[in-house]
Amino acid sequence: MTAPATTSAATPIGEVLIRLEAATVRYGGAPAVDGVNFDLRAGEVHALLGENGAGKSTLTKSMAGVVRLNEGRILLDGQPVAPASPREALALGVAMVFQETSLVPTMTVAQNLFLGQESAYNRPRGVNIAAQQFLQSLNFDVDPGTVVAMLGAAKRQMVEIARAVLHRARVLIFDEPTATLTPEEKQHFFALVAQLKARGVAVIFISHALEEALAIADRITVLRDAKHVLTAPAAELDRAAIVKAMVGRDLSQTFHGQRKTRVRAPGRRVLSVQNLRMAGVVKNTSFSVFAGQVTGVFGLVGAGRTETFKVVAGLLKRDFMHGGQVLLGDRPVRYRVPAQAVEDGIAYITEDRKLEGFFETMSIARNIHLGLLAKLRARRPVVHRSEQRRLGEHWVQQLGIRAVSANAKVIELSGGNQQKVVIAKSLVQSPELIIFDEPTRGVDVGAIAEIHQLINRLADEGRAVVVISSYLPEVLALADRVLVARQGKVVEEFSALHASEEKIMYAAIH
Amino acid sequence: MELFTPLTRPLAAWRDRLLGRGDAACTVPILDGVLQPNQRLETAAVAWAAPTGSLELRDLVSDGRQLWLADGPRLRALTPQADGRLASEERLVAAGPITALCALPERLGGGVAYAVAGREVQILGGSHHGRRWTGLAERDFTAVNGLAAGGDALIVTDASAQHAPDDWQRDLMSLGASGRVVRLGLAPVDDGKDRSDRVLADGLRHPFGAVAHGSALWVSESWRHRVVALGAGDRPSPVLDQLPGYPSRLAPAGGGGFWLTVFAGRTQLVEFVLREREFRQRMTASMPPELWIAPQLRPPRSFLEPLQGGAIKQMGVLKPWAPPRSYGLVIRLDAAGRPLASLHSRVDGQHHGIVAAAECAGALYVLSRGAGRVLRLDLNTLAPETGA
Repeated sequence: MTAPATTSAATPIGEVLIRLEAATVRYGGAPAVDGVNFDLRAGEVHALLGENGAGKSTLTKSMAGVVRLNEGRILLDGQPVAPASPREALALGVAMVFQETSLVPTMTVAQNLFLGQESAYNRPRGVNIAAQQFLQSLNFDVDPGTVVAMLGAAKRQMVEIARAVLHRARVLIFDEPTATLTPEEKQHFFALVAQLKARGVAVIFISHALEEALAIADRITVLRDAKHVLTAPAAELDRAAIVKAMVGRDLSQTFHGQRKTRVRAPGRRVLSVQNLRMAGVVKNTSFSVFAGQVTGVFGLVGAGRTETFKVVAGLLKRDFMHGGQVLLGDRPVRYRVPAQAVEDGIAYITEDRKLEGFFETMSIARNIHLGLLAKLRARRPVVHRSEQRRLGEHWVQQLGIRAVSANAKVIELSGGNQQKVVIAKSLVQSPELIIFDEPTRGVDVGAIAEIHQLINRLADEGRAVVVISSYLPEVLALADRVLVARQGKVVEEFSALHASEEKIMYAAIH
Repeated sequence: MELFTPLTRPLAAWRDRLLGRGDAACTVPILDGVLQPNQRLETAAVAWAAPTGSLELRDLVSDGRQLWLADGPRLRALTPQADGRLASEERLVAAGPITALCALPERLGGGVAYAVAGREVQILGGSHHGRRWTGLAERDFTAVNGLAAGGDALIVTDASAQHAPDDWQRDLMSLGASGRVVRLGLAPVDDGKDRSDRVLADGLRHPFGAVAHGSALWVSESWRHRVVALGAGDRPSPVLDQLPGYPSRLAPAGGGGFWLTVFAGRTQLVEFVLREREFRQRMTASMPPELWIAPQLRPPRSFLEPLQGGAIKQMGVLKPWAPPRSYGLVIRLDAAGRPLASLHSRVDGQHHGIVAAAECAGALYVLSRGAGRVLRLDLNTLAPETGA
């Protein structure tokens, strides 16, 4: 096995590479993509925007061979194609980098890169060297020998991108590629996209970060309710026009809300973390969380925010906790498993919903009911389907989950609706302390507003709410007090009234 | 489970020590939320300063019209002036340092109760003028550091059975737990109220101040970093726990609630020293107290000692190399004991060792024993934050 070339087959820039005609995909009778026409030219970056459930992911999955079109056709270089699997699509030069990474967590970076290309005999050293050279050629700082499970979300994303580039794809589909990247990593990513574009690779860029789409895309297509709404050069569009096209109403003012003019007074101290240490990741960090407030936790990727709260919620075993104390109220706690934390009224809503948030082949109702079963008092010898369904329907209605019914499988839902299922699964436990880790990652603007309203409602009800976010406008819109984490510890605290993007970012970096 | 507590406590302590949990975790609560540091105490106006600037100022109380200050053996009446300063008038020179004060209300006969050298409680003025107590229940007073009017009695906090009030660091380093709260009946003879003198609580870890709250009594317990409530016949129950410092006295606040003063902050280093018995014994036996690794009332003044809170950056990581030992903190509590706001003098400041606070004539007066100053803060400027 040798290091592959990163160049793709040259296609004259501007020529249509892939075209979808009247593409239609149905899930359980409901159209996820409805008669959409779409074309992609070689050497262009085409942003695909829309609310969750608009059909962006499904549309691109049909190109990548993950789902089949029920109607319509795909033309590649003018020839009809119908990839039946991602492998077939890849052979045709179409690769997709998924919103939630699809790497094998127990394998190394190098093994993941060359997965599916193995020879009869693979010399690990050779594979590692080839992977190292390739990663360096992309300017990605990732150790090829590291097991993927040990990587943070940003580095996993890098490996995912590298794998797509490695397979000489002519059409690269990025689904929310920048959601987990730091500002520096984003710049790397944008430079990489520019390189790919210069080589004639066509890039589809699905994102909820509208500014990013406006900055790097040549053309923008907007979908709404499974239908095509708009395709136009990015230069002719602005944020307000895109948002209006996405939601069919003018939401630009409510997107991420207004800056706070008043903050909630703190209630009793619900959580107190004192001098918590966890080898190399969390370094003597201390902070408190109060009832009736939203506590925002900002930090760059790798600041140890997620790990800290995973210790609090019992998701990281106490063996990994090397010192310090966690007090719930005034009671020291040290959970071995999450169930103990759930019993005590702590809910952690994961940043990686696909891996840790739900069972994708199970129905919405069963997923939500599973959340309830985590509470000891809710366990019954027999599970009643009717009770399960009622519970599911209640939460589908409460959180406005857009699905055919509570019996719909979670895999059929859009990212935003999947996130609502994950939230419902935790709220059904009636927690007192709710930790949202990147609650709107990969979620469209409409769902963001709904999730933000929900978070505010929970705080108004007197619950202690923590929002971990890497997106500053979100922190500023939601939090009553902002904690800034850097290098494994909370280094600064601001009242939302006194916080600004500059102050927070300065604390996070310096 | 309560029945088995005496049996399981040593086992739990051994387990905690082995695993570094509980009291052996060497952790300290953080100053965040409403306790987030500010410079309100450091920038407060100085209303009165001790001529010597020493550690002689031990207590400050208000009778509503004027303030009473314990300045070494002198009892001073301080009257607020139009310019915000305090006019001082010496009222008494006691036989030893005055360690605690209480302005008695009219229902208790009026006058000022004061403790001399922690061993004797006396009353100046009012209907009980000249009364004195030197102990109770076959135990003499040793370290009276707090007096309060409670119901129909004078409440006395006797911090330790072994160490004098000024020897509080030794009490901490010996893990002292011999403090008690005593009630001295002051009700008139003919009204049928309880006139008995009795011990309300014993075995406390350095009680430092008390205040009446309805029918209960709130007491600050310094070495357990908490405020406890004493009811009739009950065990002390925590009102406010996990304080980031060592609480001293409590005083009523206008609009309900209380002012709690904190005379030093907790640090992981001191918590660690408190775990190490042999180290403590050698340190206390061989070194002068001002050099102990222990809380202090004022920042170090020797150029040989590093600046407290100083730090160095190594390999891009900021490492503290001189943990602070003194701090200035006053916490405003609501009627339920929940912190509402706080006033600070940070580690690089001077107004440390806060041992008393009292409201008088629209201002909050704070006694910084470390700086030897009475500080003045206008209550109107504190109102939005403190609910005062």
